[in-house]
Amino acid sequence: MAEIAGDDAPAAPPHVASTSGSQPASNPASTGSSKPPSRTTKPGVKRLVLTASVLLSFLLGLPFLLKSTEIHRSPLPSDAITALAHRLHSNPPSFPCGLHAVFLRSGSGPPDASLATRLERAISDQLQLIPAASTAGNVSVSVTVESAGGCSSSSGVGSRWQCGVVTTADLVLGDEVFDELLHSALGSGSGDGSRVYTVVIVEIDDAEGMRVVIGKHRHAWLAGKIDEAKSVSVIGKVFVKYFMNGGIEGEAGVGKGEFMPVGSDGNVVLSFSLLNADPSDWVYDWEFEKIGERMLNPVVEALRPIAEINIESQVLYHTPKSSYSYSDDKLGGNVLSMGDIPFFVNSNEWHLDTSISATGRSKVLQFVVYIPSAKECPLYLQLPGGRLSKTNAFISPMWGGVLIWNPPDCSLGSKKTHGTRKKMASQELMETLEIFIGQLRQLFGLKPSYLSHDMDLPTKFVVSERGFTEWELDLLYRHHARSNLLSCLTTLESLSSLVHSLPRMIVMDEIGRQVELSLEAASLAQRNATLGISDSSAVSATRARALAEDAFFHPSVMSISYASIEHYFAIYMPFFAPVSLHVLMAAIKELKRYKAERAKYSAFLASGATAS
Amino acid sequence: MAPSSPPSGTNLFLYLLLLFVLAAAVAASAAAPEEEFTEELLLRPLPDRKALAHFYFRSSAPPAASVGRHHHLFPKAISQLVKKYHISELELSFTQGRWNYEQWGGFDPMSTSNAKPPGVELWAVFDLPLSEIDAAWKNLTHTLSGLFCASINFLESSTAFSAPRWGFKLNEGNLRYGALPREAVCTENLTPWLKLLPCRDKAGIASLLYRPSIYKGYYHSQKLKLRSSQSLGIILDQTLTVVLQPNTINGKQLHSNHGQPQPSWSIRHLFNRRLSGKCLVSKSSKIFMEVDKGIVDKVNKSGGDPSWNNEFFVLWNGPDRLITDLNNLDVQSSSIYEYDVSNYSKERPFDLGITWKLPLIWSSTPSPLHASRFLMGSGNERGSIALSFMSTNLHKEIFGSPNDCSIKAVIFQIVPWYVKVYYHSLEIFIDGNRKTVSDVVDKIHVTPSEDKLLPGTLEMLLRFPCSMQSATLTLDFDKGFLHIDEYPPDANQGFDIPSALVSFPELNCARNYPETDPLLGSPLLENFREDTAVKSYTEVLLVPLTTPDFSMPYNVITFTCTVLALYFGSLLNALRRRIGEEERELTKTATKRGLIPLLLAKLRGQKVDPTESGSSSESTGSKKLLFKVVFVAVAAVLFHYFSNNS
Repeated sequence: MAEIAGDDAPAAPPHVASTSGSQPASNPASTGSSKPPSRTTKPGVKRLVLTASVLLSFLLGLPFLLKSTEIHRSPLPSDAITALAHRLHSNPPSFPCGLHAVFLRSGSGPPDASLATRLERAISDQLQLIPAASTAGNVSVSVTVESAGGCSSSSGVGSRWQCGVVTTADLVLGDEVFDELLHSALGSGSGDGSRVYTVVIVEIDDAEGMRVVIGKHRHAWLAGKIDEAKSVSVIGKVFVKYFMNGGIEGEAGVGKGEFMPVGSDGNVVLSFSLLNADPSDWVYDWEFEKIGERMLNPVVEALRPIAEINIESQVLYHTPKSSYSYSDDKLGGNVLSMGDIPFFVNSNEWHLDTSISATGRSKVLQFVVYIPSAKECPLYLQLPGGRLSKTNAFISPMWGGVLIWNPPDCSLGSKKTHGTRKKMASQELMETLEIFIGQLRQLFGLKPSYLSHDMDLPTKFVVSERGFTEWELDLLYRHHARSNLLSCLTTLESLSSLVHSLPRMIVMDEIGRQVELSLEAASLAQRNATLGISDSSAVSATRARALAEDAFFHPSVMSISYASIEHYFAIYMPFFAPVSLHVLMAAIKELKRYKAERAKYSAFLASGATAS
Repeated sequence: MAPSSPPSGTNLFLYLLLLFVLAAAVAASAAAPEEEFTEELLLRPLPDRKALAHFYFRSSAPPAASVGRHHHLFPKAISQLVKKYHISELELSFTQGRWNYEQWGGFDPMSTSNAKPPGVELWAVFDLPLSEIDAAWKNLTHTLSGLFCASINFLESSTAFSAPRWGFKLNEGNLRYGALPREAVCTENLTPWLKLLPCRDKAGIASLLYRPSIYKGYYHSQKLKLRSSQSLGIILDQTLTVVLQPNTINGKQLHSNHGQPQPSWSIRHLFNRRLSGKCLVSKSSKIFMEVDKGIVDKVNKSGGDPSWNNEFFVLWNGPDRLITDLNNLDVQSSSIYEYDVSNYSKERPFDLGITWKLPLIWSSTPSPLHASRFLMGSGNERGSIALSFMSTNLHKEIFGSPNDCSIKAVIFQIVPWYVKVYYHSLEIFIDGNRKTVSDVVDKIHVTPSEDKLLPGTLEMLLRFPCSMQSATLTLDFDKGFLHIDEYPPDANQGFDIPSALVSFPELNCARNYPETDPLLGSPLLENFREDTAVKSYTEVLLVPLTTPDFSMPYNVITFTCTVLALYFGSLLNALRRRIGEEERELTKTATKRGLIPLLLAKLRGQKVDPTESGSSSESTGSKKLLFKVVFVAVAAVLFHYFSNNS
């Protein structure tokens, strides 16, 4: 480099030296004259080009540097997420369903064709008056009137009602049989398309009053002496109150405002524990693997579209409760008031243990049978009104349920049966499990059981051996699909806003892929919802939510702290700050000098021109 | 079920029928075996005035379809673990302190199966295809670390575990072994371990586990051993071995010539707890007091009977049973006094103690060779590992005269990859004389370490002559460099090399209890009867490695960047400098202004024109200064703005 400088240096100076040397009064300020210093040669651009090219190469290199130090961020489809949010908010998933009213008339003679159409209009008007459930979409109403003479239907009958299969005379067979009969008459497979709920009105002339029976499939029936206006209003009420809202009045519908007790990956472990509070008094064991499996398997099957359920059981010992009970002679035992229930679960001593098989984000619901020790036996739960709880059990939302089981020994003057291990009787275990199924229904947001005088008419409910009737399951599927879609959306939105707010955050490709798959599943769920297929909609919604949660809780999201902007500056500043200062200053100086020299030269040229 | 009266006539038929029904019932109950739990405790006075307590809990689950889902006594978490990772055998031990093989015995089932290396040791045999085992091991370490609140998940990395073929335990490549020598063991590991017992520490023998007492001891090893098979179901053995210094009972101290006498102690003195009955769901609940061979020999020699009350010592309670161990030559070696705890309750607590009548000095049976391991060399570059064996002359007692016999020893050693062992540098010295390797080594299997991938594993079968007094093996190694991220938090402390295992395959330390009915159900004694080779672990080695200055990366960045920036700047200056012009300027300014040039000029003896110090140069200078200040300020503001925005 010195050579270049050496080469370069002698080139210009002789002239400059001659010029400046010849003019000792080059400083204008000192002399006062305005005559600019002049040069006779054209100023060289060599150094200017050099510094400019260095600066330019730096500027050109900058994008490469930025590119090479760029953090990998998989592009998230934020547009699609906003679109989904818009779709869900403007048009929440609603499931169209049908209501089919069948009038079984006792009288003979061909039915009046216009009667069906008139009734249809009446029912439609009735439905308009009652506020429908949030998840219910369009309701298509159809009516069939059947009498001994034949049947006539209004247009567009939804269900496959077979005329003449069921007659009013079948009612004497009993409700369960009639329920199955109706089920076969309606054709068991109404699987495709929207759900159709049927209300059958059975006219019995010689009966007084009316009774309503709600079956375990998608139908109900009214029996008794019926006038048209009354039956129309009852049909509307049955449809909206039970089939649409699960018998829960008011704003707080099923699952509204609270989450389903299902893990975000769609798994639920039902962990049943038998707790012997003090084994020195008595030790009880149970045969859960036989009875429990048999009773709970139908429930597991029924809830499969919502959640994958695993059942586990264990027996634990030395597990005292952590709240105090007081003895009440009048009630003949120890009493635990409602206020003490929050302290009942003793998490120090109850090693209920989250199961290893419940990996990741799946949910464990604990169902606990608590066997009190001899000195606190029998133990009862007291309701706020002073009455004792009928089931002696309580639930804790999102956690599970507890049942206090007083062993048969404790009523026998609490004689200690030292150290012998006894089995819980199968009958007792079955009753316990029935209570637990009721608690499970409650945890899922349904009523544990229905009151028979809920409406102004005597109402009966046919109980399903699966714990959940078909219309209840429809209800659960609808709500599950809806709440899962909303929670999936919330997760995706938070992820997207998180990614936007942290520009140095690494976003793996896998996260982007999961988000895309989640969006796909969500739109599938929505499409199924508009078609009214509630169960497959629930399945897709679960999948959408699971994928969204997977993306949000991806382990690589944690690496954010290792690529902060401070880190970046700390690495690159020590080199680029001094170097860029040099380059910039050199370029500016060189440019300035070039300009000054050129001015000198042009002045010289001008003076040369005037001189000549 | 024996009939009270002899059967006759029609009674006989009824009796047969009854028998048949009974047999059927027994068969039915045998077809559906239940989960069982037993608890046992073995106490033993040690020659160095200490006491050994060995807790043994066994839970077993019969093979059933509901394993992993429905359990009554067996811990659900363990069965789910076995089911999920297809474990056929697993052993996990947490140990603090080192088993003293000379004083506490090296040739009995206790030292062989319950003396464990310090820290955590985990090995597992999987019932899986070979390609899936590593993945299962990694998941298993994570699960166990969650279950036991320990950093077992450090064994996940492939540099931390190895797959020995025969040096540790003969297997078909489905065994994985890993050790964490530095893991600290405390109550947070004991509590989850206790949670696996049905009664936890609320009742039964486990209620003796008073934390301040057991963590005060000299040795503490808690172990969990799992065995699972199609026919067996799952058997979970949980043992806790502690060596404690008993507080001497107040009162008379026995006189002794040899320093202090043996202290008399009882359960209450050892644990600060009294035993109030058994765990109610346990099938059997027993406490054993074992008296060493050394004591029994002395008692026999003095002509006394080895009962619980003899001329040397007296036990506080009469035992329910006396079990004697016969060795190969039908010579009684040790006695065990058995007590059944199920007869005791809260109102009648159980306490067992030993009171010495005469001072007694005895020694435990040592292992045939006493192994120890140490480091040689200095500096941070290289060193060597030495394994030394000192003969304890035990073989003379076992084999008689040392004619032509030999002792086989298997060495199993794992070395982390940053200790680069040169296996060819193996040298063997016997009684100080160097031997060729092939003379001594029968079989050797080496898995060399790979940088950041695999630890080195050495499995070696040696044959020593019986007449040997001492032997030494040395191996040279180089110390490797770790990446800055790979150093542990306290890197200056050094790096641990896990204990080596020395086993003697030809020597069997199994006990032989002739009158013990195998159905009588003492898993502890059954465990003592199992054929196991004598084993001993060596010390953990601490290797100091070169540790870098951990702020180095930033220093390097700043230094190199400064150098580069300097070079770059000067290069650029050199390129655009005009030397001639500058020189002229310099001479010009030197004549013009400045105090220093003025002085210089004066010194040089030049004439100075006083009129030439101008104010314009000052003003341009201040302008430049102002510009610089503004530039720096703007740069700072920009940087602040930019860093705040991001």
